[in-house]
Amino acid sequence: MIPPRARLDLRPFACPLTYVKARIALDRLAPGEVLELWLSAGEPAESVPRSAEEEGHRIVSIEALAGEGEGAFRVLLEKGAPRGEGALP
Amino acid sequence: MKLADDRVARFARQLLVPAFGELAQLRLQEARVRAVGAGAAASPALVTLVQAGIGRLWLDDPEPVSPADLAGWLFAPGDVGRSRAEAARAALSLLSRFATVEPYPVGGVPTATLVAAPSTAEALIAAEVARRAGAPHVVLEPDADGGSIVSIPPRAPCYACARSTAGGGRPALAAAAALAALGAAELVQMIAAPGAIPGRRIELVRGIASARPTSRLAGCVCGVDPRAGAA
Repeated sequence: MIPPRARLDLRPFACPLTYVKARIALDRLAPGEVLELWLSAGEPAESVPRSAEEEGHRIVSIEALAGEGEGAFRVLLEKGAPRGEGALP
Repeated sequence: MKLADDRVARFARQLLVPAFGELAQLRLQEARVRAVGAGAAASPALVTLVQAGIGRLWLDDPEPVSPADLAGWLFAPGDVGRSRAEAARAALSLLSRFATVEPYPVGGVPTATLVAAPSTAEALIAAEVARRAGAPHVVLEPDADGGSIVSIPPRAPCYACARSTAGGGRPALAAAAALAALGAAELVQMIAAPGAIPGRRIELVRGIASARPTSRLAGCVCGVDPRAGAA
């Protein structure tokens, strides 16, 4: 597996900042590179990977964050092909 | 250059718009927008520009606030008689700490222009200055409760080619706020995503907007690159 290029601890943040910060971090990666996210259980761990997938990124894995039990998750996302930054709908 | 955390938080909802990312927001942050006209018809556009994260907004309006301006979004009854530019600056500055709002400085070089001039002649002059500078610009043509917006990115047909020549010019009503907000959204997109908006005219009639491409009049000087041949 490709090692993560960047890691982001989003546990202190709530929606919409969780996904906004993840998206900005993904924008800074090249296609194929991997981003590691630490997300709180519940809405963040459910919606951030789903939103990323909807925008063309790939969920590599979702697993409990070591030492956090089921309270937080480690999510690996692989950046997908660019969809034209700046090409607004 | 990276978008600061406080700006990420402030513009989080906007950053969720598909294809509108950090780079787009940074372009807005770096923009210097000249607003020609700050009256009632322009007010909603000015609010939209500030709220969208435009870094610097220059207000170019020598007139005082009139009672008719109170129909806009910026002025209070106590503002009547004050300089429009100053009263608008004071009101807009309260909306966001991320925007610098000030009167248009002599010699200022804007990167984009919003034209909400009180007359067609003034609109033509302001638009031509922007075209020659290669700056994207939007011209508002309010007409009663609707009107038109002319979006002019660099190298598109100029305002002299694309302007409305049929009637219109009735006093703007409160519903014209939609026109102004739409015009500001056009300018925001042209700044945030250069090349994304073609030269076009949007007409707003009874709340329904329709867009069509603008076309160049035969022989118009706007068909020549203003920088071509410069020494």
